Amino acid sequence: MIDHMSALFTLGNMQFLLRGAGMTLLLTVIGCTAGLIGGFLLAYARGSKGTPTAPLRWGATAFVEIFRRIPFLVTLFLVLYTAQMIVPRAPLFWVAVVSICLLCSAYMAEIVRSGMESVPAPQIEAAEVMNFSRWRITWMIVLPQAWKVILPSAVSYMVMFVKDTALASQAGVFELMFAGKALANRGLDPFLVFATVLFAYFVISWPLARFGRWLEARLARRTHEGDRR
Amino acid sequence: MNYSLQFGQIAADVPYILSGAWPTLWITFVTFFAAAVLGLFIAMARLKGGPLASRLAGIWVTLTTNSPLFVVLFFLFNGLPNWGILLSPIAATLIAFIAISSGYLAEIQRGGIQSVRQAELDAAETLGMSRLQILRFVIAPHVIKTTYPALSNFFIFTMLGTSMASLVGVNELTGRAIEVSSRTFRSIEVFSLVAVTYVVLSLFASAALALVGRWLFRVNARMI
Repeated sequence: MIDHMSALFTLGNMQFLLRGAGMTLLLTVIGCTAGLIGGFLLAYARGSKGTPTAPLRWGATAFVEIFRRIPFLVTLFLVLYTAQMIVPRAPLFWVAVVSICLLCSAYMAEIVRSGMESVPAPQIEAAEVMNFSRWRITWMIVLPQAWKVILPSAVSYMVMFVKDTALASQAGVFELMFAGKALANRGLDPFLVFATVLFAYFVISWPLARFGRWLEARLARRTHEGDRR
Repeated sequence: MNYSLQFGQIAADVPYILSGAWPTLWITFVTFFAAAVLGLFIAMARLKGGPLASRLAGIWVTLTTNSPLFVVLFFLFNGLPNWGILLSPIAATLIAFIAISSGYLAEIQRGGIQSVRQAELDAAETLGMSRLQILRFVIAPHVIKTTYPALSNFFIFTMLGTSMASLVGVNELTGRAIEVSSRTFRSIEVFSLVAVTYVVLSLFASAALALVGRWLFRVNARMI
């Protein structure tokens, strides 16, 4: 046991795992940022009215429903093989980024949509009567109120998503889980290696989860105070 | 770009891949219901248990909801054998899935139980209802109504999550896809077939859950 531990907990190995953890964070941040933007565009397209934009609306709905209903692992493999068909030797990092963006925008679209739906309809109707364009209504009336609902849900999705990125290792992308597998393949005790990896994920995920809960409580309090005034 | 889609080459394997839906479904059902029962006990321990029980339940929830299922699965399947515990793929899958899901389901059910207001219970008692009647007519309908959407969401989530079981060698939908694609090299065909199967399965599951919710519990769940 002590031998196994001293073999694993060397400076080099820890730096290796730390680099992996950095990549995990990078993938998460890329996914959630792109997801919020993509999710907003999808939610905006889904909320459009009238016949001319109908194909856009259906397209957005289909995108969200489809990518929310395919396991991330299958999406990852599909993107991987499709990318290899189009570009020989497609860089794996970008394969992971593309599949992450697909997944995140589909999930974030639902979060953004429910946030935008939380704004009372009479406000939007009043703005429509005053001849505001849809973009201005969204930008000046809906989003300033909806972000308080969107942000906590987005953070709790991020907490879930950090853990999903571990699957990217299956496509050969270097991140925390990949680093763990590499160490285990090098002959280090897999029990210790994966326990360490689990601990590392916990260290990333737990503060984020607590931050999410704090944010939710704080925004809820501020909203209630606003009501009273 | 000289790859052309040839679904004909996997035609013989299609029934084999599609019947992988059965393992996917039963793993989902077993995981979900076992974890829901376990989660209910954890939620009760957190709310009504003694200081030690509620503390332990809280720690369990924190640990499980902050650990990636995939890494737990690898830990059980690849890490434990070194210590003399050899788990079959399906055993490792069920243990990992039930353990992790129990934390999430405990949180969902805790929220549901907490949403029952004391005033309602007092009112029921004033009306002379027995404890069993209170549970049947006041607590249960309320808890089911508040937790049903989250529970059915989690059911779909579990179904999609079971695809990870393929990575430790369980022969379910994704596992069969990996097997056939490495034999025939028609990867895109195989995985798009599997993707469509997952979409169809989860659409059916959503519709069924919405209908059950409407008929049995009068929950206005959205179909899509």
